[in-house]
Amino acid sequence: MGDIRQSLLPRDVLSAAKELLYHLDIYICNMVQSGRQPPQVDSKTLDLIEEFILHTPKDRNAPVRRMSALQELQLLEIMCSCFQEQSRDTVRQLMFSALFNLQGNQADESRMALLSKLVSMAVAVGRVPILECAATWLQRTHRVYCVRLAQVLVDDYCSMVPGSGPTLRNIHSASPRFCCQFITAVTTLYDLTSDELTPPLELLQMIVSWIQDDPRLVLINFLNSPLSGSQPISSLDITPLGGLIRWCIKAPLAYRRDKKQAGTNGSSDGEPDAPHLFSALHLSVLQVFMLLPNILNEKGLFGRLALLQMESVASLTSDLSRLLDQTDKHTLAATTDTHGASQLALDRLAQALQVAMASGALLCSREDLRAICSRLPHNNLLQLVLSGPVMYYNNIHTPPLAYSPHAAHSPMPAHATLPTLPTHTPHTPLTSHPASHTQYPTQPFITGMPFPFRPGH
Amino acid sequence: MSAQKDCEFLVKRARELVSDDPCAAKAWLITARTLYPTDFNIQYEMYIIERNAERTASAGRLLYDMFINFPDQPIVWREISVITAALRSDSQDKHAQFLRALFETLPGRVQCEMLLKATEQCFNTLEKAEMLLLLLKRFPESVVQHGVNLGETLLEAEISENVDSPVNCFRKLFVCDVLPLVINNMDMRLPASLMQKYILKAAEFYVGYVTRGPSADVQIQSSQDGVTLKSPGVSRGSQRFVIDGLSEKSSVVAEPWERLLDILTVIGARCEWQGDKGQRSYIDMLQRVKELCRYLPGLEGETRSRYCSQVVICAALVLFRSAFLYVSAVQPSLFQGVGAMTSGPWILVEDLSWVYSDVEMDRAMLKHAHKKRKLADGREKTMSSDDEEGLGKGRSRHILVNKTEMPNWLETLESFRTARESWDLLHSHDGLEAEFKKICAAWKTESWLWFRIFLTDMIIYQGHYRKALSSLHQMAAVQQPQPAQQSPTGQASLEHHRALIQQASCHYALGEYRMACEKLLDVVSGLVPPNQELTKATEDQSRIKSKTRKGNDLRLLPCTSRAVLPFCLQLMLACFKLRAFTDSRDDLSLGHVVVLLQHDWPQGEMLFLKAVDKICQQGSFQYENFFNYVTNIDMLEEFAYLRTPEGGRIQLELLPNQGMLIKNPSPALGVELNTLLLQGVQTMDRHHTVTRGITKGVKEDFRLAMERQVSRCGENLFSVLHRFCINEKIIIIQSLP
Repeated sequence: MGDIRQSLLPRDVLSAAKELLYHLDIYICNMVQSGRQPPQVDSKTLDLIEEFILHTPKDRNAPVRRMSALQELQLLEIMCSCFQEQSRDTVRQLMFSALFNLQGNQADESRMALLSKLVSMAVAVGRVPILECAATWLQRTHRVYCVRLAQVLVDDYCSMVPGSGPTLRNIHSASPRFCCQFITAVTTLYDLTSDELTPPLELLQMIVSWIQDDPRLVLINFLNSPLSGSQPISSLDITPLGGLIRWCIKAPLAYRRDKKQAGTNGSSDGEPDAPHLFSALHLSVLQVFMLLPNILNEKGLFGRLALLQMESVASLTSDLSRLLDQTDKHTLAATTDTHGASQLALDRLAQALQVAMASGALLCSREDLRAICSRLPHNNLLQLVLSGPVMYYNNIHTPPLAYSPHAAHSPMPAHATLPTLPTHTPHTPLTSHPASHTQYPTQPFITGMPFPFRPGH
Repeated sequence: MSAQKDCEFLVKRARELVSDDPCAAKAWLITARTLYPTDFNIQYEMYIIERNAERTASAGRLLYDMFINFPDQPIVWREISVITAALRSDSQDKHAQFLRALFETLPGRVQCEMLLKATEQCFNTLEKAEMLLLLLKRFPESVVQHGVNLGETLLEAEISENVDSPVNCFRKLFVCDVLPLVINNMDMRLPASLMQKYILKAAEFYVGYVTRGPSADVQIQSSQDGVTLKSPGVSRGSQRFVIDGLSEKSSVVAEPWERLLDILTVIGARCEWQGDKGQRSYIDMLQRVKELCRYLPGLEGETRSRYCSQVVICAALVLFRSAFLYVSAVQPSLFQGVGAMTSGPWILVEDLSWVYSDVEMDRAMLKHAHKKRKLADGREKTMSSDDEEGLGKGRSRHILVNKTEMPNWLETLESFRTARESWDLLHSHDGLEAEFKKICAAWKTESWLWFRIFLTDMIIYQGHYRKALSSLHQMAAVQQPQPAQQSPTGQASLEHHRALIQQASCHYALGEYRMACEKLLDVVSGLVPPNQELTKATEDQSRIKSKTRKGNDLRLLPCTSRAVLPFCLQLMLACFKLRAFTDSRDDLSLGHVVVLLQHDWPQGEMLFLKAVDKICQQGSFQYENFFNYVTNIDMLEEFAYLRTPEGGRIQLELLPNQGMLIKNPSPALGVELNTLLLQGVQTMDRHHTVTRGITKGVKEDFRLAMERQVSRCGENLFSVLHRFCINEKIIIIQSLP
């Protein structure tokens, strides 16, 4: 394909780009038809793309070709219709990769710029094929770039043009896959560490309503991806669950700080305010977890695939612990307000950990959890979760004869079958946990006195 | 320290949060459930949150879980009974609707199981039946197993609960809900005898429902309101009907006759009745069984009995329906929700509009009638049957009715005819009659006032007046006017006089004039005389048409003062007419006739002239009531003339207390009367030669009386004649044989 360069050179920027796209389309079609494996665009073609579409100078001597804003808009339109008209997914996907897969060279900047504009435009005019390709791109690309793309969309639709939110809202129905990746990207982007990294309320509302309408949206890429689990390193998580949990847990602390700034304009217009939105979001996340056991069982992955990585949980707990420390320092006299916020964060952490563990999203023992949560301040629910349910539960309505504090932690009931979800497979770490529980070294010593992990009823 | 304490802690936290942040509360409970999946309270709390927020899908899902996982929890059953109660009720309130929608979200299998178990836990027959019915309606396959049993349970409940009316909650449920499910289920084999039993149960219910009287409690209410409720129509229109044990809405049965026909059609098809499968209407049905009847004598055994039951059931239903339609037009106040008094009661009486015709003609006619009756009376002794060959028997009689006052006259008369035909059909064979009598006995039709009204009218139509009279006596006893129902218009009491008027008509037809007048004058005393002008116009049109018919026609008379009083006057006239014009002299009868002829003047002009002729022939006439009741100017003029030489110097003794007037001639009074007379003449704006002759030396008192009488010409004639009826009641009755 390299030989068309001579014919492209004399043309003006727009027609050259157009011509190249046309040839690229034919070239990829032929490639797919011939069944060449792997179907990869050769480096010469990639060079042509960088030269005539991304306008990266080939060498220092070459003249810098630039497009006017109008020409660029025309090019985007041409690309839009090019993807729209191509009916074969493979061809479309290969073409998108050829154009926008990062090559680790100087062209990547203009590649990102063009991609951002194209995706933003596709959102605006509802070009589903492009959004689908972009979803795949978001799954394969390093998270730093994914976050940049998300940032552009949030800027375009939530910050720059007020009232354009509804346009972005539509991506939920246009391309659920893209929407899911977008959520993952923005939860990665906004880590609530500073005001700038706090999601705009409009975006938050949008995400809450998406997930409330369709909780499976969160899992859609996980459901559609092959079992190989060959996620490129440093790419985004396959689900936004980790990011969403982080949001919900950190929000009570982050938004308290936010509230101080915002003052009165919090929820004046009847819209749900951030605390309630996060509460709803947190519930939705738990509900999504509850969907998991069936899905994992169907895929035969229950207990084998952790949707929530232990490392990210660990980093979350250490983040939280630091945040709580800071909060305490900032407000020397811990007011009920700050105390409430801290407890809410801890409640949510406990809930997320328990439900994630029970649903097979988090594969670890309670002992592991106790380890990573050791630095956190006291919270009744967290203690309950960390110690696990009392094991003679099955007989709750007819307590055993030896119903006494002494009996409560005798090893026998602790070995009773864990009455969690009926779809349990025997090899989950969860089922092994009672054993580890009984091995907990201090346990024999505390029978007969108030169990420290229990809430003070 | 225990799992239970953990659970209590978790639920308590959720409860604390639910009002401020329901999402947080739910998050707690989800967490709690993963910790203690078999704890009931956690799941119940989850359900309660969803239920209180009226979220159907999620509440339904949680209820399902509880039903599966905690089938023995009393709380679950309490919840289920609340839901099934909502399913049974027809309440439109939001919560009931939500509970019904909640039930709908459950899988069919669970619904079925829930209803069955809920039924088992029910001890009240009606509730249990309603619950089972929900099951049958939703799951047609369960009809085979439970349908007939449920039906029988309901029918048994009627007996065990001592329900006296067929319109009761058990029967309603059986007829309207269970029966259609059972008979339309083709997977079931049902014996013909059972289906016949069922159709009769259904028919009894529907007939009872349609002919139900206005409900008692509302009447009590209206009597408490007392005088303020002037119009009975208003109070009747707002009446509500509730079957004991049912709600108001489920007490309503839409289009009962059509529903009955539907059931009859299905049962007919399943019993392999003759005729086409789709019963189109009651009238078609009657035609078909009529045809069927022709084959009946040639049939035997099982076929015959099958034909018999078809004919009897079909004809009986047509009979009751048509009789109802007739009576609802004739006596609408008997029924709840029928036409609400748009037209008052109507009375089937002898038509007397021919009464002004020549005496000779009706004398001939009556002679014939009397001869016949004599024959019948003779036979009565031996055959214990009265006027078997009575008037009109064997040929159809004409029933006159004022078509503007009864807009649905055609349907009414049609219904009357159809009912009579059905009755005749049911009595055309011994076998049929016996079957029909069984139905009547079972349904206690004897006690149906409305049906008795029809039967009486039918007997009257057939000319069996003696029978009709005994029927009417019974009815009059039932219909004694109650003080509470007296209304200022006299309407209510008039309804109760209906039987009396009909009795009078029958007595008259039997030639028992004295009895006839006695009954009538009883009625008249309770009437308020109507305004003269109003009656004129309405009476006219019907007369023209009926002029040629005579003696054998019937009339549907509106039961209003306006119609009843003229009828009474006509009937009295008819009674006295023959006596007045016999060869022997009967001045009293002749005088009564003259008084009565004033009504509807100049209809009776011809008869009046005949009376004048008779007076001329006699040369004298004595009737002391003349000046009390004759105010007709033409008549006065004629009598004034009779005294003159040109008139033949007839000796007239028309003054009561004649002596008194002569003894105390009062000039002052004379002057006063004179001026009155002049005024009267002026206001009438009509110059009469009343005074011709009188001034020429006739007796002063007669002249004065005449002059006074002229001044009364403007008086309401009905008031005058009404007074006549009341004041002279004894004389009138005594002067008749």
